[in-house]
Amino acid sequence: MSTQQAFITSSGSFLPGPPICNEEIESVLGMVNGKSSRLKQKILRANGIKTRHYALNQNQQSTYQCSELAAQAALHCLNNAFADSADVDLLAVGSTQGDLPLPGLASMVQAEIDIPACEIVSTHGVCSSGVMALKAAANQIKLGEKQTALVCASELSSRLLKKSRYEAAKHETLDLEAEFLRWMLSDGAGAFLVEPQPRPRGISLRIDWIEQLSYASDFDLCMSCGTADQSQWSTGHYSQAAAATPSIDKLNELQMSARRSGATTMIRERSWQDYETYADAERAGALLLRQNLRILDNIVKVGVEGFLRLIKQGKISPAEIDYFVCHYSSHTFRGKIVDLLNRSGCMVPEEKWFTNLYTKGNTGCASIFIALDELYHSGQLKEGQTLFCTIPESGRFTTAYMKLTVVGGKQ
Amino acid sequence: MITADKTSTMSTSSQVTLRELLAVWLQFERQLNRVPIIRRLEQGTFSEEDYMTLLRNLRPQVVEGARWITRAASSFTSEFAEVRSAVIGHAMDEHRDYELIESDYVACGGDLETIRNAQRNIGTEALAAYLMSQASQPNPLDLLGAMFIIEGLGEKMANKWASRIQDLLSIEPSKTRFLSYHGANDDSHIEKLYGLLDQYSDIASDKIVKTAKVVSRLYAMQLEELDNV
Repeated sequence: MSTQQAFITSSGSFLPGPPICNEEIESVLGMVNGKSSRLKQKILRANGIKTRHYALNQNQQSTYQCSELAAQAALHCLNNAFADSADVDLLAVGSTQGDLPLPGLASMVQAEIDIPACEIVSTHGVCSSGVMALKAAANQIKLGEKQTALVCASELSSRLLKKSRYEAAKHETLDLEAEFLRWMLSDGAGAFLVEPQPRPRGISLRIDWIEQLSYASDFDLCMSCGTADQSQWSTGHYSQAAAATPSIDKLNELQMSARRSGATTMIRERSWQDYETYADAERAGALLLRQNLRILDNIVKVGVEGFLRLIKQGKISPAEIDYFVCHYSSHTFRGKIVDLLNRSGCMVPEEKWFTNLYTKGNTGCASIFIALDELYHSGQLKEGQTLFCTIPESGRFTTAYMKLTVVGGKQ
Repeated sequence: MITADKTSTMSTSSQVTLRELLAVWLQFERQLNRVPIIRRLEQGTFSEEDYMTLLRNLRPQVVEGARWITRAASSFTSEFAEVRSAVIGHAMDEHRDYELIESDYVACGGDLETIRNAQRNIGTEALAAYLMSQASQPNPLDLLGAMFIIEGLGEKMANKWASRIQDLLSIEPSKTRFLSYHGANDDSHIEKLYGLLDQYSDIASDKIVKTAKVVSRLYAMQLEELDNV
């Protein structure tokens, strides 16, 4: 099978509103029940973020839609590109949560940018959804199916983090699990153009490969929105009782017997959509963003495991990495496993890490796009350099990796 | 942040071995997550009976551990005197560890005779037989891979499990002495192990990694086959 190459030939990003410093966060997101958070300082010290952007005004009203953030980033990208929006034959858009449960976000972004009829892909996950969209696009380019793919990653999580969300959860004590992400996440979008050849002048990034692996069957839910109790989604929730591989009949039987024994909550209200009304779901705390901190460190372990696998497969060698692009800082990665990685000579030296987490915030799946956009336009990149990107997603433990090579383009 | 200086202490080929061992370890940790009793511990549905069962099933392996490790020491020729010394030292440190398990069991209200009479489960049988067989080979350097896994459990998991068990069962640290002891002491053992790996992985890398794989699989099996005797 003959395949072509795929290149990122243009890049753009968009961050809504002014940078918001740590002291200003609660003037945008609001103070829950009028009180300043006691956990805020601790979490901010740990993540190191100094400024971020929100698509909210000080009355917690949205200043943009998620599709508009994507469109703004896409327009920046297209303004720098040799192609224009009429050339786009594939639009791939990733997000943790778009504006509407349906249709897919790509439909909304296509309309927003006013791209003529084209193929679309909407990917949905958490931090890895942007790179899933990028891979879908790169593959179509490599197969020769498409010539001009526009890829967007957009996040508008602040709508989930404003004070009214927490105040509405009546039975919820605002615990660490529900509050943690309030001090982590913010808004922004990035966009890349992917084409089968480098741009005629200037820098392109050849997409050598993108690898993604999910470990969802090994771990419990770690980050979610839509349930009041993450433990109800435990690995093997049913299969524990129904032996290793339950049949559909067995599952039905379990459901029936649980209902008979009065355990209706467990069966009926696992998802926010199971409640009588959406208001009930919100009151129950089922619409809060949650992070299970007890199992969060597994993200480092699966990240290291994946990295070692890539080294063994010969897909990357730590020595060839010029830029290690990650939306977490090197300071996040510590502990015995990282110590072992270091002893085994695989730790990427700190001076090669590139992140703009501290100034642009953690924008979920858009983070890697926004970081690469800054690097792309930094003037630092030189032909032949290797960019190794890693995108950890704690949702239910997914890691994605990407190797890019800087190409100068024809002069 | 971890500094880069430790990397310079190992040769490049030992680093490759360590990398492989780390990959085996990480896979093992994920495999442990799928073992029902560990899953219950993670998910918070671990009962006092689970803890007693765990102790009863660990004791025979710990008793066997002292045997294979002393057997391994006797299988090294004088050419490998250094590793033999380390193995003997290790055996000295751990050969009565089963007494800690017994005292934890009794402290939790268990009967001393019951735990002393507990039979090896079928996973322990496989693990003990494999280790004894390897330990009986001349100069069994591959057992460094076994130690990487077994000491790794002490160094990386035991403390975590001990405090989780204390939290879930509301019991005092005096009832999790076996796990806590390993959590506290296996750090120094594993340091010594890195030194040995650096010295010998040149000549035994593949075997070390393979034995680590087998031991990790059989160890998980031992935890899967609780009371299956």
